Amino acid sequence: MRYLLIALLLAGCSTTVPVTQKFPNATPELMKKCEDLKKIEGDKVAITEMMKVVVHNYSLYWECSAKVDGWHDWYNAQKKIYDDIAK
Amino acid sequence: MWILSILPEAAIHIIFGLGILGTIAGFVLGFLMFMKPYRLAVQICGLLILTLGVYLEGGLADYKEWELRVKEMEAKVAQAEAKSANTNVEIQEKVVEKTKVIREKGRDIIKYIDKEIVKKEEVIKYVENCPVPKDIIDLHNQAAELNKGATK
Repeated sequence: MRYLLIALLLAGCSTTVPVTQKFPNATPELMKKCEDLKKIEGDKVAITEMMKVVVHNYSLYWECSAKVDGWHDWYNAQKKIYDDIAK
Repeated sequence: MWILSILPEAAIHIIFGLGILGTIAGFVLGFLMFMKPYRLAVQICGLLILTLGVYLEGGLADYKEWELRVKEMEAKVAQAEAKSANTNVEIQEKVVEKTKVIREKGRDIIKYIDKEIVKKEEVIKYVENCPVPKDIIDLHNQAAELNKGATK
């Protein structure tokens, strides 16, 4: 009888129903690390050789910049999707 | 209410129905002479069961409403996950395309240096007479490794 009473008194206690949202995966391309800049090899280097290394390094900078822009796009898009769930 | 997860829905309706029948019986049976001594007991039991039944029915209604909201939320989450995956594909394509264009443009400039610039007379003269000083090369290489000082 005592246990029945306890069970009845506890009948109103709530239970949690978990609705979990998986953390979104990042785009694979964005997960790649930016490459190290190229160094000029040798002691006597022609200006044209130096120029080629400089151009190569500029390319690396802009590739990395594209990834950072990609991360901004990813964050903004994912945040919007997340915020829309709560609405 | 945890009790709703172990108690079948039909049992709750039965308890509620029994409560109603018990309460009615408690009042109706009073008119029968041989049931008169049990009237009060039946009335009390009937009312207690009816109270429990009403309580459980209320809980069940609330539980169903929440269940509906959970399903709605689960649908929204599933939709969001699909949308998120699509967004990832779009961003992947955009970044890959942008990187490809940058790389190609860089290669084109290097090719142009190799094919055109090195053949120009004034450039040939300059290259022959003015090699880049070692200090300048060292400075360039130091600048290219600026990030290494920041990493432990």
